[in-house]
Amino acid sequence: MDVYLQQLTQQLVNGLTLGSIYALIAIGYTMVYGILFMLNFAHGEVYMIGGFAGWWALHLLSRNNVPIMNAAIVISLMLIIAMGVSGLLGMTIERFAYRPLRKAPRMNLLLSALGVSIFLQNMVLTYQGAEIRFFHVSSLIPESIRVFHIGNVVFSFMRILVIFITFMLMALLTVMVKKTKVGKAMRATAQDTEAAAFMGVDVDRIIVFVFLIGSALGGAAGTLVGLLFTQVDYYVGFQAGLKGFTAAVLGGIGNIFGAMMGGIILGLVEALATTFFSAAYKDVVAFVILILVLIFRPWGLMGEKVPEKV
Amino acid sequence: MDTNLTKSELSKKNKLIFYVVIGVVLACAPHIMPNNYWLRIYTMSGLYVMLALGLNVVAGFAGLLDLGYVAFFGIGGYMFAFLSSSQFNIHLPFPLVLPIAAFITMGFGFALGSTSMRLKGDYLAIVTLAFAQIFKLLLLNLDRPINITGGVNGIFNFDPINLFGFKIISPVAYSYLIWFSAIVVVLGSFRIKRSRYGRGWEAIREDELAAEVMGINTIWMKLMAFAGGAFIAGATGALFASFQDSVFPNNFDFPQLVIAYCMVILGGLGNIVGVILGAVLLSILPEFLREYGAYRMMSYGLILIVLMALRPQGIMGEIGFLVRGRKEPDKDEAGLLKASTDLYYDEKERMLGADRKRYSKGAHVILELRDVTQNFGGLIAVNNLSLRLFEREILSIIGPNGSGKTTMFNLISGIYPPSSGHISVEGSGLTGLKPHQVVKAGIARTFQNLRLFSKMTVLDNAKVAQFCRTKSGPLSILFHLPLHRQEEAQTERRAKEILGLFGARLTGYRFDQKAIFLSFANRRRLEIARAISTNAKVLMLDEPSAGMNPQETLEITNFIKTLRDVYGYTIVLIEHKLNVVKTISDRVIALDYGRKIAEGTYEEVANNEKVIQAYLGRKRH
Repeated sequence: MDVYLQQLTQQLVNGLTLGSIYALIAIGYTMVYGILFMLNFAHGEVYMIGGFAGWWALHLLSRNNVPIMNAAIVISLMLIIAMGVSGLLGMTIERFAYRPLRKAPRMNLLLSALGVSIFLQNMVLTYQGAEIRFFHVSSLIPESIRVFHIGNVVFSFMRILVIFITFMLMALLTVMVKKTKVGKAMRATAQDTEAAAFMGVDVDRIIVFVFLIGSALGGAAGTLVGLLFTQVDYYVGFQAGLKGFTAAVLGGIGNIFGAMMGGIILGLVEALATTFFSAAYKDVVAFVILILVLIFRPWGLMGEKVPEKV
Repeated sequence: MDTNLTKSELSKKNKLIFYVVIGVVLACAPHIMPNNYWLRIYTMSGLYVMLALGLNVVAGFAGLLDLGYVAFFGIGGYMFAFLSSSQFNIHLPFPLVLPIAAFITMGFGFALGSTSMRLKGDYLAIVTLAFAQIFKLLLLNLDRPINITGGVNGIFNFDPINLFGFKIISPVAYSYLIWFSAIVVVLGSFRIKRSRYGRGWEAIREDELAAEVMGINTIWMKLMAFAGGAFIAGATGALFASFQDSVFPNNFDFPQLVIAYCMVILGGLGNIVGVILGAVLLSILPEFLREYGAYRMMSYGLILIVLMALRPQGIMGEIGFLVRGRKEPDKDEAGLLKASTDLYYDEKERMLGADRKRYSKGAHVILELRDVTQNFGGLIAVNNLSLRLFEREILSIIGPNGSGKTTMFNLISGIYPPSSGHISVEGSGLTGLKPHQVVKAGIARTFQNLRLFSKMTVLDNAKVAQFCRTKSGPLSILFHLPLHRQEEAQTERRAKEILGLFGARLTGYRFDQKAIFLSFANRRRLEIARAISTNAKVLMLDEPSAGMNPQETLEITNFIKTLRDVYGYTIVLIEHKLNVVKTISDRVIALDYGRKIAEGTYEEVANNEKVIQAYLGRKRH
């Protein structure tokens, strides 16, 4: 029994880590959906490319798998580069694949997003190959603090670091959305694009900005997952994208705070599913939850129901 | 008349030649393939034609973004694997396995489609995608604890197909079998597209709400689209499994879905010929790019992006010389420009012929609202409204903007149920019915902001409204049974008759014109024609003269009056132009803040203190 409880606590910590990463991905979906009412299918690939960018950063900053600088600087640089690459990628996608379709039926937009996703995934496959890239993180953190114990539960330093970074990023985003001028403009655009435009908000720039922020967070998530699970390949974006979307839906799509909560809930649920079922079926559980939520509470666990306008 | 006859004979002859050519090509093709490799591609392209046409039913005809479609393909394949291999030691004959696979897959399609009752657009796409993911995860993991799917290793070594003594083993035999099935699917697609089902789906794709309000059971039709697509995918999957002699989870993964979508979109959603060409093209083209293998999926992605941005209607859509019989707008047979007012006066006398029987307001209550209230989360749009509509009456509803007029129409037509109160038509309750049931009960409406099916032709707009009066099902349509043929003829006649009510404005070459190309006034007319075409007794017209010039307003006013006087319709209209109201109303009701503030003849209402206040504001004392 004690072993079981210990395992459960362990899984809850794992769930929280994974959940905070899902939350980062979910934010990108939710922000774009809030303004354009579109499902940015390519977001998973943006995350994946963020992971690759982080890998390259680490690779270039290492000699013989040992970083050439202070580990803190290396991790910061990895994150900055990943966020930069993903952010730019998100802006480019918006410019070329979505903006020409802004007035087109929603189905066209979704299919275009699907096209972007396929394109990016296979572009990475073409130029980076199908093999898994490993993050050599072992030398980043000194042996002495790599894991520590509280009671019988083992905590890895990297997990704590990842949770810390994700919560920092989410706090920064919240402050930006709530307190800054551009945040106010974003909220206005999400409520009513036309009215915001009439009030002098440059809607195009806000949309670009939203893609930049959302994609940068997705890129950060990609690199954080790399630090945590030490690998990335061209196919990880698809699953991660679906999970991120599930999290966004759980929290009520369009709602940034909801996306954060949705991510953490999803992470915890998956951790529990791993404990009680088996790891093979944790994804099945996640998708079943997604289907059930969409059918019975499409406005999310936290969102409010808005009547459809006729 | 003579020229028409020879024309149709000619096209019949052309058609025959066309069929013969297709037949000869299909008969020879397997034998002229340079090698087995190309024969295999030829056969695969037949499978892709089927797969794409199945997807075309869901995504093309009905416009439902089904991202779980590939799972149906897989279910068909694995069904075949289960039923004719040593996996479970079941060895059923192929003529039995094929229908079982198709029907079981259809069942899954029905189940997945039932989520579309509650979900639309992106959400539906995501649910279907999650379904496909679950399916794939199950395929991968159901090899333990008991081996069902074989996991990553799949299932292989199937019984050879035995069709009533003919063994299908050689690649040539397979190519015949698969292309024969493809032809069956093609013919079925054409038949269903030109039927009430095809029109119903098209209407749903264009504007789901308008389709429901025009009498189409949208939920059922969406289910049918899912089921139909799944049926085809299931059969295709079974054939594919047999052809490959193995099934693996990877055969039914996301890339296959993307390929199928690319085919459908390249051909143009809903465009059968286009989709066939798209499927053949995308089956063959990548073979020429084989040296650049890795770029193949990348190019599929690019195809989607570029097509969506530049040609969302596909390669085949709207190409000039392919669109048959397009004529110059507003010109008659002699090529002279016809003024619409001339057309109107041509018809006016015939319409108002003196020897016709005249109808007027009766004493029988046809529609009744009792204490109806609609509360939109605190905003009371309609407040305790009661009214009676008499047989063959023209009742006008007036009131300032936001007074609840359109909400009242929405409540009657069942778009949302009232918060409280009761609505009944000829004594039987209407409250809580779905819009298509309200239409069936005999009440049809138009929309203030025009909701025509703008990419459908004028004639199809009128035909689609007959949906709720016809009942031929898929079997009847696919096999051209008498019921279907008779109903089609009836629908066509009735639609033309109703469009003819507007003189020559919506007839002749206009039958085949898309609604979007009509002038604004003609679009308003077509909305009324569409409402009439539902065989309704009560017509609810929401601002029928909005946006019309004085001449057109006069004309539509007379027309509405004619509808009652000559044809005996009961009419409720919302109208802002008071001279229209004055000319035709038997009775006028004024609303303000959702309440009835006045009722009576035009003069009574127009001079009512409260009405004047509502429009002009309170007098200063």
